[in-house]
Amino acid sequence: MDLLRSETMQLVQLIIPVESAHRSISYLGDLGLFQFKDLNSEKSPFQRTYATQIKRCGEMARKLRFFKEQMRKAGLSPSTRSAMSDDVDLDNLEVKLGELEVELIEMNANNEKLQQSYNELIEYKLVVQKASEFFHSAQNLAAAKQREVEAQQRGEGSIDSPLLLEQEMVTDPSKQVKLGFVSGIIPREKSLAFERILFRATRGNVFLKQSAVEGPVTDPASGEKAEKNVFVVFYSGERVRNKIVKICEAFGANRYSFTEDLGKQYQIIAEVSERLEELKTTIDVGLVHQINLLQTIAYHFEQWSHLVKKEKSIYHTLNMLSIDVTRKCLVAEGWCPVFATNKIQNVLQQGTVDSNSQIGTIFHVLQTKESPPTYFHTNKFTSAFQEIVDAYGIAKYQEANPGVFTIITFPFLFAVMFGDWGHGICLLLATSYFIIGEKKFSSQKLGDITEMIFGGRYVIMMMALFSIYTGLLYNEFFSVPFELFGPSAYGCRDPSCRDATTAGLVKVRTTYPFGVDPKWHGTRSELPFLNSMKMKMSILLGVAQMNLGIILSYFNAKFYGNELNIRHQFLPQMIFLNSLFGYLSLLIIVKWCTGSQADLYHVMIYMFLSPTDDLGENQLFFGQKFLQILLLLAALVSVPWMLFPKPFLLKKQHDERHRGQSYALLETNLDDSDETELHHGSSSHEEFQFSEIFVHQLIHTIEFVLGAVSNTASYLRLWALSLAHSELSSVFYDKVLLLAWGFNNIIILIIGLFVFICATVGVLLVMETLSAFLHALRLHWVEFQGKFYEGEGYKFQPFSFASLDTEDE
Amino acid sequence: MGFLVTTLIFSVVGIIASICSRICCNRGPSANLLHLTLVITATVCCWMMWAIVYIAQMKPLIVPILSEGE
Repeated sequence: MDLLRSETMQLVQLIIPVESAHRSISYLGDLGLFQFKDLNSEKSPFQRTYATQIKRCGEMARKLRFFKEQMRKAGLSPSTRSAMSDDVDLDNLEVKLGELEVELIEMNANNEKLQQSYNELIEYKLVVQKASEFFHSAQNLAAAKQREVEAQQRGEGSIDSPLLLEQEMVTDPSKQVKLGFVSGIIPREKSLAFERILFRATRGNVFLKQSAVEGPVTDPASGEKAEKNVFVVFYSGERVRNKIVKICEAFGANRYSFTEDLGKQYQIIAEVSERLEELKTTIDVGLVHQINLLQTIAYHFEQWSHLVKKEKSIYHTLNMLSIDVTRKCLVAEGWCPVFATNKIQNVLQQGTVDSNSQIGTIFHVLQTKESPPTYFHTNKFTSAFQEIVDAYGIAKYQEANPGVFTIITFPFLFAVMFGDWGHGICLLLATSYFIIGEKKFSSQKLGDITEMIFGGRYVIMMMALFSIYTGLLYNEFFSVPFELFGPSAYGCRDPSCRDATTAGLVKVRTTYPFGVDPKWHGTRSELPFLNSMKMKMSILLGVAQMNLGIILSYFNAKFYGNELNIRHQFLPQMIFLNSLFGYLSLLIIVKWCTGSQADLYHVMIYMFLSPTDDLGENQLFFGQKFLQILLLLAALVSVPWMLFPKPFLLKKQHDERHRGQSYALLETNLDDSDETELHHGSSSHEEFQFSEIFVHQLIHTIEFVLGAVSNTASYLRLWALSLAHSELSSVFYDKVLLLAWGFNNIIILIIGLFVFICATVGVLLVMETLSAFLHALRLHWVEFQGKFYEGEGYKFQPFSFASLDTEDE
Repeated sequence: MGFLVTTLIFSVVGIIASICSRICCNRGPSANLLHLTLVITATVCCWMMWAIVYIAQMKPLIVPILSEGE
């Protein structure tokens, strides 16, 4: 059976000519059955042969990441149906990626520049418009004032007035102080501070007029929209001008020049509008171009990134091979399963042919003492169970794999703790949703928890099926029993049924044929009966599983040819466990079959305390006392049998081997170097410390003896969890659903039903499932595997492209 | 229906299940052996649990005592 022991592995040496190396490794990656050993582990990554190639791949990966960023910004996603066109060569791809990157960067820069000038022009237009309004209104005001003054002048003709008139007329342009102005646009939130600082810096000698702009304006420097105000600052003097300019720059206000001439203003506005139109069309065309480019990239993206990842992994693998420059070939060492030999040789042949090489690859099996990796050939059903076992420890090479039995016993023990066929049906429905949509889900990317549930869908299915079975046995459908398999065995003592609540019912028919009798539910003596039955069941199941574990250790010992383990470990262990707990199981069965009233606690304890005493009313069968003494002696003998013989026999074995070697040294004339080599080899290989071996065996013995008691008791958790589950289920049913039913009100019934469903799903289906899962797992890992499993191997990890996509994400 | 009769039924169901698995999924000797092992393990587990529950009720030491108000 393949799953019971690891596939046979062999250490293989491949001698590949350089020209076919790349192609051969690529084909081996497709096959996925060869694990390469790193022959260059002392070299740093930069000293390796193909470091430059890896750098190239890294560059290409960076470019691809850049493209992905750009696509994400533009809102595109790489199309899932990638073009499976002809094999794109790596060099061509590199060149293409370089070109695309340059083009994309250039386009981005151009777009940005255009956008910036567009925004600046918009601001300029706004400034011109608003500032011309100022000047226009100011000029109107001034003209109105002038007309007033003239009217006044014409009106008044007195002696004082000519003097005043003269004074006013004396204001000729040459003496007029020329007012300069600075116009620009500033973000609204800074405008107040701007005004204040201007006032303080110029000691109030400037005049600032602001006007708000409706609607947000895109700032050319930052590219973000902001509320802005157009301002005009009137000043006189050159130094003040410098101060104002510096303050504008500090506040991030953009300054734009402005002419007073009305005609020129109109001209400027017309020109700017025209330019804005042009720019807009240019920008739009640019964007369309960019999106086209990104779409072409998106179409090929998946294929390209896959290719780059593949190439990178091929070069990493090539780096692990040692190069033999004189013979122009690469040497690879690695593990592969023996059954794959033909496939690998074919693939290498294909590689040689495809790369037009004269020399074929040499496939050479090496002999080694190294321990090979462990490889189990699993399918989608068995892989989940194998993962459960591997989580504890990978099996040593060719050790018996507990996964074979775990496929059945793990869901079974879960079901013993979960037994309710209503809940089992719910679990089955939930998991069939995942199993039916298998193909769809395996290609999607799921969240963490959903991924775990999807990975374990077959485990949950088995758990659900067994839960339905045990639920039928415990007779619990959401804690309600049914009489499905015939009439109940219990009936009233007499027709009036007076004693039903005091002395109870009587067994009037044959035993209920399948499962627990439905009459038990809700009675006062239900718990004592069920507890007794479930505890005894747990002991029986536990002893059975532990015996299976010890028998597997026998098969392991036989396989490895370890006679010592068979005679001095398996036998005493079997005798010890079965003479105590096997006997207890026998007593349980005999008590049930005969209906005796013997007290089993008493029997077991007094078997140790006073074995020669008369059993009295605890006698279950004839010859019990004699049997008990016999079993006690057997158990007492088996403990030193487990402890002493093995270390002494191991020492004798080692001495024999050693003595044999020293004979060889005397007889043959080996040179000094060989002698020392042999000596070193033997002493370092078998450092035999007797005390260490003895202590190891002592620990092993104590662990087994004490473990026999504690592990058997540990199986009582099967009873404990099953009790908890049935009590919770019965509480939710009685105290929620029946209570709501009793009110005879539809609203309360709906609320009650809702609470019942929430409680069942949350507590029983989620929490209890996880809890029973965990405890069944513990029982397997500690109590079952502790009897035979070493778990000190390492997993076979072949070089395969199939695992690429998952490992890089 | 009796203990022995039902045990016989369990063994017959087990044999039929192993034959079915051999017919439906015949994939090489090692896979066949694995399927056989799984079917036998499942049958033994199920039978053991049924047998325990059945035997526990054959000669009961406690009887159901109904609670008040039933």
